[in-house]
Amino acid sequence: MRDPRIDKLAELITGYSLGLREGQVYRIDGEEIAIPLAVALYRAAIRRGALPYTRIVPSGLDEIELQEASEEQLAHISELERLASDRLDAWTSLWGTVNTRSLTRADPERRRLQLATHYRMVNRRWERISTGDLAWCGTLYPSQGHAQDAEMSLAEFEDFVHGACHTHEGDDPIAHWQSVSAVLTARAREFEDVRELRIVGPETDLRVVVEGRRWIPSDGRQNMPDGEIFTSPVETGTSGQIYFAFPSVFQGQEVENVRLRFEDGRVVHAEASAGEDYLRSLLDTDSGARVLGEVAFGLNYEIDRFTRDILFDEKIGGTMHVALGGGFNEAGTENKSDLHWDLICDLREEGEVYADGELVWKSGAFISEPAAERV
Amino acid sequence: MFDARHKKLAEVLVGYSTEVRPGDIVRIEAVGSGSPLVREVYAAALRAGGHPEANLVLDETEEALLREGSDAQLEWIRPDLEWTVDEGDVWMMIDAPVNTKRLTGVDPAKMGTRLKARSPLQTRYLERSAAGDFRWVICGYATEASAQDAGMSLRQFEDVLYRAAFLDQDDPVAAWMSFGERLESVGSILDTKRELRIVGEDTDLKLGVEGRTWIRSKGLRNFPDGEIFTGPIETSVEGTIKFTFPAMMRGRQAHGVQLRFEGGEVVEATAERGQEFLREMIALDDGARRVGEFAFGQNDAITAYTGNLLLDEKIGGTVHLALGRSVPGTGGENESGLHWDIVCDLRNGGEVYADGELVYRDGRFLGVS
Repeated sequence: MRDPRIDKLAELITGYSLGLREGQVYRIDGEEIAIPLAVALYRAAIRRGALPYTRIVPSGLDEIELQEASEEQLAHISELERLASDRLDAWTSLWGTVNTRSLTRADPERRRLQLATHYRMVNRRWERISTGDLAWCGTLYPSQGHAQDAEMSLAEFEDFVHGACHTHEGDDPIAHWQSVSAVLTARAREFEDVRELRIVGPETDLRVVVEGRRWIPSDGRQNMPDGEIFTSPVETGTSGQIYFAFPSVFQGQEVENVRLRFEDGRVVHAEASAGEDYLRSLLDTDSGARVLGEVAFGLNYEIDRFTRDILFDEKIGGTMHVALGGGFNEAGTENKSDLHWDLICDLREEGEVYADGELVWKSGAFISEPAAERV
Repeated sequence: MFDARHKKLAEVLVGYSTEVRPGDIVRIEAVGSGSPLVREVYAAALRAGGHPEANLVLDETEEALLREGSDAQLEWIRPDLEWTVDEGDVWMMIDAPVNTKRLTGVDPAKMGTRLKARSPLQTRYLERSAAGDFRWVICGYATEASAQDAGMSLRQFEDVLYRAAFLDQDDPVAAWMSFGERLESVGSILDTKRELRIVGEDTDLKLGVEGRTWIRSKGLRNFPDGEIFTGPIETSVEGTIKFTFPAMMRGRQAHGVQLRFEGGEVVEATAERGQEFLREMIALDDGARRVGEFAFGQNDAITAYTGNLLLDEKIGGTVHLALGRSVPGTGGENESGLHWDIVCDLRNGGEVYADGELVYRDGRFLGVS
């Protein structure tokens, strides 16, 4: 049985997110579990006159590679992937796997090597995404594994995902995301003049210097669902402490109740109630890993709970997140790192944010216009 | 579920059929389903030192393309496939249909456009293959759909397929090697002959094969396998042949096909069922009316018709001919977007004469054990 919401999501991604046009070469990537959405995207692309093809893999290949491959094989970059990164006009990544923890117990050193190869390919892709030569959108196909992480049934999780994307029956998703885009763009422009943010919340009082950096609205082009504004902070300007009440998940491993203290932009103290060793190993990834590459406001109020998937969690309406590690060129970052680890700070109950001393955000929402932020 | 036979099959495909070597670019594609086998092939290719990449080709996207695609879309070749054919070392295609009749309702004209557009690609990989630069294999995979076509359960069909692939034997590679030796003795009968005459029920067909090469198919390019084939001289085919099994192409069929040839060309084509489809296929291009391949099925572990061409054309005691493109390496020169194998059972009273001498009767070559 076809789920009409999947067709709607495919229309939204090809029509709005990617703006797919006739003759454009378009690739759809995903695991076998995501086939229904891959097929819907393919069909939508055919109707737009594009030239689509799919790259669908069985689940479990990464695990097999970790077991069987030599180091040289783990470091091999596929010529096909290189060609795709250099030549595609549009690309969709369908995240969504059968078991989100299948690599949790893999050999960490070999996994690091595998991921490094993966990121070398992804970085190549980003060079063309950031110049606008390649339209890219990542989304998640709801699977049992992700529903389980979010502590929901699959049916509940599907409802949640389509709620966050505004792709339920009767919704007009393209009109919705166009209006989100207008609101977020206006909000991002307001922040262009801000020199310093002060984030105050439970066990949190953090100053983040953002002067001269660009704020970028995430309005459903590169992620679906979407809904945040973000920038990359000035590398030496972060100071104070921050507490993350949500578990922080990175590559299938969780760290709980993370507390960080910053001085002159760098993490000088880090603790966690569980997974502290892992936290320390991530901070030691490289010299850029102790510096913030991102600070952002989560503004999608359809996303109202923690799911253990960063695609949703970083956009929870009323939260802020920061990322340790590499920042965004388009925001003006100078921080380089192989790490980019988003940590989410819940400000919905008793959070406040000051911009250059002025209260702009209270209890999970901006207090001033543009008031249509409940997107 | 882990099936020990998948692992065994994967090792034969990687170690014997395509001989994956360190550094080889290995493209693994499964059409329809087949993930459990893809995983094992992926693992075996890594162990052999290759750089495997897997891709599941979806039935539904092909259907969407054939139903809704414009000519420009139908004629487009996806870049990963083009690159694999031009630059890859090994290509494994696992045929694992989910529904073998999914394309039955598709407009034949669109199918024709697609077949024609892909023809140069096929020529390229067959040429690279003949030159030894590209190793490929098409491997059958048992699915409910293929079992249903065979009129049996999935478990029964799995057994048929694995027996046909000699995977029921302790050392399948050794079994394929000794099969290859037997095929050699059949080859030594055919290599020197100038003309074959096939005689059977409603069948009396002459083909010139002088100077053409008989290729021994022993588990390298098809799996399961077992045939010996050549490309007959394009203008030489004369007479009539009636095919025992239905002629199938992408979910469509013609039953009781009878062809009459003059000067190498089909001059009369009738079918008891599917006449229109037969005409459309033959009208695809000029080469579609000529014979690109003639072959003897030689796998005695396959005895019954299953509706799966990969198996049916290998049944010991059958012959098949293909209308359309000939296979590089045979000396055949016919060009076409079509390569359509149709099978004729000679096990009951069929005879083959080579240069006037009886060499084959009731499905067996005389003097070959």
